[in-house]
Amino acid sequence: MNIAVSIFLAAGLVFALAGTVGLLRMPDVFCRLQSSTNLATLGVLGVIVAAVIYTAFGLRDWAMTVKLIVLGLFYLITNPIASHALAKGAYARGARPFTGIDHLQDDLISEEPSENEEESHAG
Amino acid sequence: MKKLSFPAFLFTFLLLLLFWMLLTGQIADIFRGGFSWQILAAGILVCGAAALFCGRFFAHEELRLLLQPKRLGALLVYCLAVFPWELIRFNVDMAVRAFSPGLPKKSGIVKIPTALTSEYALSMLANSITLTPGTLTVDIVTEDGKNYFYIHWIDVASDDPEEAAQAIKGRLEKWIGRIWS
Repeated sequence: MNIAVSIFLAAGLVFALAGTVGLLRMPDVFCRLQSSTNLATLGVLGVIVAAVIYTAFGLRDWAMTVKLIVLGLFYLITNPIASHALAKGAYARGARPFTGIDHLQDDLISEEPSENEEESHAG
Repeated sequence: MKKLSFPAFLFTFLLLLLFWMLLTGQIADIFRGGFSWQILAAGILVCGAAALFCGRFFAHEELRLLLQPKRLGALLVYCLAVFPWELIRFNVDMAVRAFSPGLPKKSGIVKIPTALTSEYALSMLANSITLTPGTLTVDIVTEDGKNYFYIHWIDVASDDPEEAAQAIKGRLEKWIGRIWS
């Protein structure tokens, strides 16, 4: 059991480290959000799975086990909504992908009545 | 604003109460002795108030579809096998990206079509896409009755909407379609 707990903890920590490194290295706000997803999914889930194994087979504390599982579920449900809200908010504030590949921007322009109405055809 | 139907209220209320019982440890206490009526009463009050507010958003008619065993089975397979596998695959990919010396040069927002129409299916696919590292839903729009996602993709492999859709959604959309359509 200790081996399984250690493996899951280590895996979780590796992904948490990858998420943190990515968060610091990535070039723009969207890429940084992507990296933080890494941290938030397998980084946290690995630790939670390790904790579930420990409480279920080590401590034999079922109330705590159930709480941990519910915690993991809530985490999975709320995290994408927060990421999405952050991305949308950043976009509304004027953040753009640094590469310029941006279909959303293209479509926003094509919806406004302007002289390049003919060439930008959303599809 | 949508009207709150009684089944929607009841469903939300019972689900919230279940979570309340789990979080306060009451279900374990039933077997151990030490069950507290006060905690249950407080839970009923709080969950009732919460269900009054959010039942109309949370439970729709489509939820009845889940009563069919085939759809429920598809949901279980999706949650326990299909999605975790995609999650691990993209997580490893993203971790490699974070440690590799070159930074992503071709990230951007792409627009992809989706065949799904029901609200549950759309929000499920959008959340699944956001949860897999490397793709992030920025917006959902409806044009001419068809739904499109705007997705920030860490490595835009293709500018063609169909190919991009295939690479991003992969098997996820097929399974979600099996659950909800």
